[in-house]
Amino acid sequence: MPPGRRRAPLAGALVSAFGPAREGSSATGWLVSLVLIAVVTAGGETLAAHGNDADISMLYLIPVIYAGTRHGLGTGLATGLVAALAYDFFFVPPLYSLLVADPSHVLSMVILIGTAVVCSQLGGQVRRQARLAQANADRNGAIAGFARLLMGINRREDLWALLAREIARLLDVRTVVLAPDMPGESGRRLVVKAAVPAFDRLDLIDGVAARWAYDTARPTGPGSDAMAVSEWQFIPVLGGNVAHAVFGVGREDARMALTGAQEPLLASLLDQAGLALARIAAEEDMLALGKVQERDRLRAALLSSIGHDLRTPLTTVLGMLRAIRPETARQQAQLDSARGEAERLDRFVANLIDMVRIETGGLERALEPVDLNEAVTAALDDLRRVLGAHPVIVEVARDLPLVMADPVLLHHCLINLVDNAAKHGRADGPVTLRARPAGEGLALAVLDEGPGIVAGEEQRVFGMFTRLEGSDRRGGTGLGLAIVKGFAQAMGMEVAAANRAEGKGAAFTLLIPSENLRQVDGAG
Amino acid sequence: MMRDAVRVLVIDDEPAIRALLRGALEPAGYDVIEADNAAQALASAQVQAPHVVLLDLGLPDRDGLDLIAPLRKAGATVLVVSARDATAQKVAALDQGADDYVTKPFDTDEVLARVRTALRHRAGPDVLAAGLRFDDIEIDLDARVVRRAGAEVHLAPKEFALLAELAANAGKVVTHTHLLRTIWGPGHETDVEYLRVAARGIRRKLETDGAAPSRIRNEPGVGYRLAVGMGS
Repeated sequence: MPPGRRRAPLAGALVSAFGPAREGSSATGWLVSLVLIAVVTAGGETLAAHGNDADISMLYLIPVIYAGTRHGLGTGLATGLVAALAYDFFFVPPLYSLLVADPSHVLSMVILIGTAVVCSQLGGQVRRQARLAQANADRNGAIAGFARLLMGINRREDLWALLAREIARLLDVRTVVLAPDMPGESGRRLVVKAAVPAFDRLDLIDGVAARWAYDTARPTGPGSDAMAVSEWQFIPVLGGNVAHAVFGVGREDARMALTGAQEPLLASLLDQAGLALARIAAEEDMLALGKVQERDRLRAALLSSIGHDLRTPLTTVLGMLRAIRPETARQQAQLDSARGEAERLDRFVANLIDMVRIETGGLERALEPVDLNEAVTAALDDLRRVLGAHPVIVEVARDLPLVMADPVLLHHCLINLVDNAAKHGRADGPVTLRARPAGEGLALAVLDEGPGIVAGEEQRVFGMFTRLEGSDRRGGTGLGLAIVKGFAQAMGMEVAAANRAEGKGAAFTLLIPSENLRQVDGAG
Repeated sequence: MMRDAVRVLVIDDEPAIRALLRGALEPAGYDVIEADNAAQALASAQVQAPHVVLLDLGLPDRDGLDLIAPLRKAGATVLVVSARDATAQKVAALDQGADDYVTKPFDTDEVLARVRTALRHRAGPDVLAAGLRFDDIEIDLDARVVRRAGAEVHLAPKEFALLAELAANAGKVVTHTHLLRTIWGPGHETDVEYLRVAARGIRRKLETDGAAPSRIRNEPGVGYRLAVGMGS
């Protein structure tokens, strides 16, 4: 239902009675009004001849209402004036003069003119509302049709072509769509992706205006506050707050391309296009994600295969080396060296596999209460050979709270930290494991007496394939500390590296927050 | 018993690993049977009735875990050979009745020790029933008394139960789940905290030097092992 019907039922009824509303004043309207006045005057004369002159002024309402409702204020007012004068001239005594003897007739004339004003206003309102309703219906129809077309689109190129074609048709304008060469690369130059009628390049000034619209995500060109000299009006096609393309409208005769009513329609259409673009981008992301997953799957498969294919021969080599009984001290030394290297290779493979588990998100963790004493002992047990001549000092109180940790991940953290301390610490220097309260939580530090960490490198040491300056003579995979960090974070813990406050050497610390602690009462 | 040809079935698809194990086992007096896949392994278990099986879980034709039950049914003690980080797999194998595990890359001495422990437990629990003695510790299971250097040490009931259970399985790994179910009862299988506290209590009362390797060995994520009587 058009809104005009509800808000002005009287005027609506009048308009219906006089046929479909037309716009503004016109020569035809004038002519019809004058003819109507003539007819009414003739009819009035006939009535007056029969001695009935009381309500002749009412007859003049017919042309006045007609002109007022259908042809607007100008025609209505003029018709009202002419009707009043005609009435005065032909029917108000003294007859055939414009003089008025009885003041009550003046009132009749004022009523005629007033009616013309009121009717023309009501009629104008109804016409405006009807027009608005029609425009709304057209606009909604256009948007709905456009949305249907957009649904079938799943490539950017198709979207550009559709935008150019449909908007050119709906608004009767020239259109152009510009977008970067490659999606998502905002720095690249804009190229014409589609245009109706077709063309390849914009003028320099138009190109700058388009670029400006793209970069600022605001309209440019005639009617906007930027680049008004451009031939085209450019409107960014937004997805989120970022422009993905620029849409241009223009007209052959270089007038303003859009009328006031078309601008909101174009804005709606471009909003729709923005939504379609977001959907297409999401679909592309899904596709890319699928590719990443496929790559991760391949990488995991490759690593599991490397893990198996390297470890099987390593197991044999290590087993054989351990089974050999040397006869001389020299042979013993050679054998120890061979074993040490083979074990290093084994730890490297293990670290490689661990790193991939962190990197591919394949880390499974199950937190359970762990006794740090037990964890430290188990790690030292596994590293007896690596530690060799390094004395080990354990400063872990027996009554510490239990720590919620994944026992296996924590084990690997400790092994890597102790291994690191043995590798980078002073030859035969002590390796210290020390648990201390830190704030509400606990800090488990592994301390060595080596050269320490170069200032500023404290974070970098936890990166992948990072070795401390001048320390690579001992070899190492550069993965151990990265694994410590990855595993610690998986358990809700943090890591820190620093030089020891007292004496020489580095301190690598596992920071266990209070949430990971479980207090226990001393009695068993 | 040793000379009466203890048969060990080695199941592994890698010939080099089988050769390595054969090289370690034969000089120690065992008869070695080899199988490189699950089907052959089950056939050998039926025909040759091995006493001990060394089972690699990564077999080409079947999940090694599926073999544990049939192998045990055939009368064999199963020792699993597994990759280092396969903790869940180790626990699953133990739950399904494997006696113990060896982690790759393994030390052949360690494998021999595991085999000896397995054979000792095969001979029957009565060997240990009377009690166990290690270092200066003496566990009298009958009297439910623990002595250190001859002096009685008072353990809380759960602590004693834990020590007794580990002693009954001396040298073997015992899973958290098994310990919790046996000592604290069904429904407590995941209360690892109880176990940690009891183990801590035992250590505090029986062990003096914190830096010395503990006898009650923690196998991260798997269970505990009383590291005694491993044949050395």
